[in-house]
Amino acid sequence: MTATQESPDQETQAYLPDFCAAGTLFVVVLVAELVAIVLTLAAHDTPGRFLIELSKSSFFILWLVLPGSALLCRFKRRLESSGKTRAFVLSFVLLLAMCLAVAELAWQLTRIFGESLIIEDTHTGFLFRTFAIGSIVIALAMRYLYISSEWRRSIVLEAQSRISALQALIRPHFLFNSMNTIASLTRSDPRQAEEAVEDLSDLLRANLRSPKDRTSLKEEFEIAAIYQRIEKLRLGDRLNIRWDIGDLPMRAAIPSLTIQPLIENAIYHGIELLPDGGEVKVSGKRDGDHLVIAVSNPVANVGRKTDGNKMAMSNIRQRYELAYGSRASVDVDDGADTYTVSLRFPLDEAAI
Amino acid sequence: MKVLVVDDEQPARDRLRQLLEDMPGYEAIGEAGNGEQAVRLCTELRPDIVLLDIRMPGMDGIEAAHHLNTLESPPAVVFTTAYDEYAIDAFEARAIGYVLKPVRRSRLEGALQHAARVGGSALSEVAEQPGIETRRQHVCARVQDELRLIPIADISHFQADQKYVCVHHDNGEHLIDDSLKSLEKEFGDLFVRIHRAALVAVSRIDRLERTPEGKVRVVLRDDSHDGAKQLIISRRHVAEVRRRLKNV
Repeated sequence: MTATQESPDQETQAYLPDFCAAGTLFVVVLVAELVAIVLTLAAHDTPGRFLIELSKSSFFILWLVLPGSALLCRFKRRLESSGKTRAFVLSFVLLLAMCLAVAELAWQLTRIFGESLIIEDTHTGFLFRTFAIGSIVIALAMRYLYISSEWRRSIVLEAQSRISALQALIRPHFLFNSMNTIASLTRSDPRQAEEAVEDLSDLLRANLRSPKDRTSLKEEFEIAAIYQRIEKLRLGDRLNIRWDIGDLPMRAAIPSLTIQPLIENAIYHGIELLPDGGEVKVSGKRDGDHLVIAVSNPVANVGRKTDGNKMAMSNIRQRYELAYGSRASVDVDDGADTYTVSLRFPLDEAAI
Repeated sequence: MKVLVVDDEQPARDRLRQLLEDMPGYEAIGEAGNGEQAVRLCTELRPDIVLLDIRMPGMDGIEAAHHLNTLESPPAVVFTTAYDEYAIDAFEARAIGYVLKPVRRSRLEGALQHAARVGGSALSEVAEQPGIETRRQHVCARVQDELRLIPIADISHFQADQKYVCVHHDNGEHLIDDSLKSLEKEFGDLFVRIHRAALVAVSRIDRLERTPEGKVRVVLRDDSHDGAKQLIISRRHVAEVRRRLKNV
């Protein structure tokens, strides 16, 4: 539990981008040049002098920007450790102070290299202009970084909530019915009740594992078999499952807990609604460097609504998309008499 | 108190029987595995209370309860359910008895006592709650003291008499208590009103034709028991019937 909570926190703590990275520096320089162009365009209308003025202001702005990046790079961790809002305020103050220091330094330099470097302003005027422009631009930049970090954080949170939704795979209906079965067996057949409790525990344990984990086909089918045993107690002769999976390489990897929910769906939406029950077919085959596993069930055609399984199906789809991207597919064949879900995914024997 | 236990799962039925055995004053007189059986056994065994699972194959508990309610002296119904948020909300609102699985003895005892006091009623309102599958798959005709279930798929049309509605179906005709209006509301996607006093199954309509007097009538398909049947469509319903037939 702690492990899953820590990592996203570390992710969200990175409010500021890494200013030591070449990519970030390139963007910083680019933005600096754009600001220089804007300032020059706005200030100078003398024809022919644009490029000279531009090179002067970009020279000065790069002077501000590069040490600024260096500062943020150096103090990133310390700034971020003080909390989100404070990190941005502190960065703002730090950068502005540095701007003023550089402006003062530039002013002093004009006095040393008097002929070649001229700033057409008074001392305080120059400092004030640097201060005003600097604070506006830095404030804009900080605002932008703040919003983009918020945006990143919301993405992380969304992913987290999706993962926890994926984890909630066990249907309450199944859980309570199983408990009821066990309560009944405790009197009539204590030994079977004992086994049912063990099976249910194994199933719950498998459900509580991190859903990112992949598992072997062998383990996945074991879970499915445990699930079958529990449901069999409840449904008796109405439930039959035919396993046709002999050709599958049992060491191959599969996103964990993606077969059992399919069987659960087949029972909940198929077998349970048929007065005489029916047969769930689980078949698997190897297709080149892919595996295809299909689960099908007979359909009760009494015009019942079947929107309940969309949740589980979209979960499974997401899991396969996360794990294999476009190399995997989850297909549903909603026929008149049978409902079949086919999983197709790359064969990967080495991973487990 | 005679109790009928209805659940599609054997262990669940066993559990209820076990609990009832421990309760003086209550006796399990029978078991049923689905709604149809429950309705049949009820007319046979006359239980005072029915413990009725909601989710069952074929006819579910809600529908069975509706049919039971049409009996002259309906048994009190206590629903049993594992997890059914909507239904539970609805029951709570109407103070109808229910017990949650796994069934607790004290809870069952309380529900049975309550049911014996209140009797089975207020169900029609529950069925109108969102999330509960209300559409029946049968209509229920009372023949003397027995309930006869007529599958919706077997029905060709409903015809209103003065007081009753007559169901014309593959195996004959029966009178039912439902009003034409409520039937139209419930099965509006399968049946179409052709005049003030008749609803016809859209799937049973073979064609429309004009009578010599200039009226329009539907001709029902021939597979009904008494050969091709014709029913006049009232003028104000012709357009609607044509529209429905076009969409089939």
